[in-house]
Amino acid sequence: MEKSNLDSLMKRIQKDRDEMAFSDIFDFFAPKINAYFIQNRIKIDNSEELTQEVLSTVWVKSNLYDSKKSALSTWIFTIARNKKIDFFRKNSNLNFKEEDIREFLYQDREIDLIEENEAKKQIERINNELDEQQKIMIKMNFFENKSHKKIADELEIPLGTVKSRIRHILTKMQGFLR
Amino acid sequence: MNGTVVKNQLIFDFASGILGPAKSLFASTYLQLNSNASKIGSTFENMLGENLMDNENIHPKNLKYKDCINYDNDKSESNFKDPVSSFFGNLNNLQWKQVYKGFKEYTASINDKDELKLIKMDPGVSVPLHSHGGKEYILVLEGSFCDEYGEYFKGDIQINDQKIKHTPIASKDTGCVCLSITEKDVIFFGKYGSFLNLFTFIKSFFKQK
Repeated sequence: MEKSNLDSLMKRIQKDRDEMAFSDIFDFFAPKINAYFIQNRIKIDNSEELTQEVLSTVWVKSNLYDSKKSALSTWIFTIARNKKIDFFRKNSNLNFKEEDIREFLYQDREIDLIEENEAKKQIERINNELDEQQKIMIKMNFFENKSHKKIADELEIPLGTVKSRIRHILTKMQGFLR
Repeated sequence: MNGTVVKNQLIFDFASGILGPAKSLFASTYLQLNSNASKIGSTFENMLGENLMDNENIHPKNLKYKDCINYDNDKSESNFKDPVSSFFGNLNNLQWKQVYKGFKEYTASINDKDELKLIKMDPGVSVPLHSHGGKEYILVLEGSFCDEYGEYFKGDIQINDQKIKHTPIASKDTGCVCLSITEKDVIFFGKYGSFLNLFTFIKSFFKQK
């Protein structure tokens, strides 16, 4: 699905509480979110429960999404990531709701967040600069949160090579993140 | 690895959601106070969002879109306060512990391997020359301090490892309040060094109980 389609679906949800528009968003994102949780080593029963929580949040808090500040996929990713953190931390004795804090990053800021267009340009530059294997490594390391050891096993390259390549990628990305 | 790489690593790890509670609170405050850091953070989150966009599909078996629609608590409003005051409350009401004259600290009770502390230094107060057993992250919340490596203002972070020995001095005008993460205990040198090392040693002894 095109990003512009997603945005217009989201607008219908925000303005009209349009359930059909939501069902399209659901069909597109639910399997990808569910896969994200499974990639992060969460069992299938829990992954579906978390997927439901993410998409319920998208529905309930749709008024907090601002397409000027981030792509819809970014907003949904951060909700999914926050659910993942809460899931792994259920037993810790934190006395504040962290999700409320992280939401801050998406609204009401004194400092304006990077605009979507600016982010897009920067990501394009980074994508042009990284080769396919480097992109796969970023996904495995930061999206699927796999250990360096696991990445080495799956890509069938030595552990030392994984470590030095990831460090190389980070140094390289730094040049673009200013 | 140089300082900038370590700073970016902290931002990336925050965006990925793999930080423990202490570092996560530290990083979110950093992103809140430092616009450059928050730009890097949102660029990286956009990259991870693209990973989600292009992710493989594993269809949920027992989930329908209707299950996610709920009109009960519609139109949520954000009740956001900044991370530090949400967690610590009003800093003036904390039970600060005086380590020595002009230097106070407050250790957060947080269930994590990293120690999270607030540090308050009166104007012109300095910390004796010390190095670090593990990594130490310092974020300036109010005022400023300087050391042999430079001057640090609100929203700046300094990351110190074993190799760094320094003597931070709080600004003569404003003093400073900082948030700090310590991965392991700090090792002190100089005039008060042995006393402070003894203090950290005794503290670590009590912590094991």
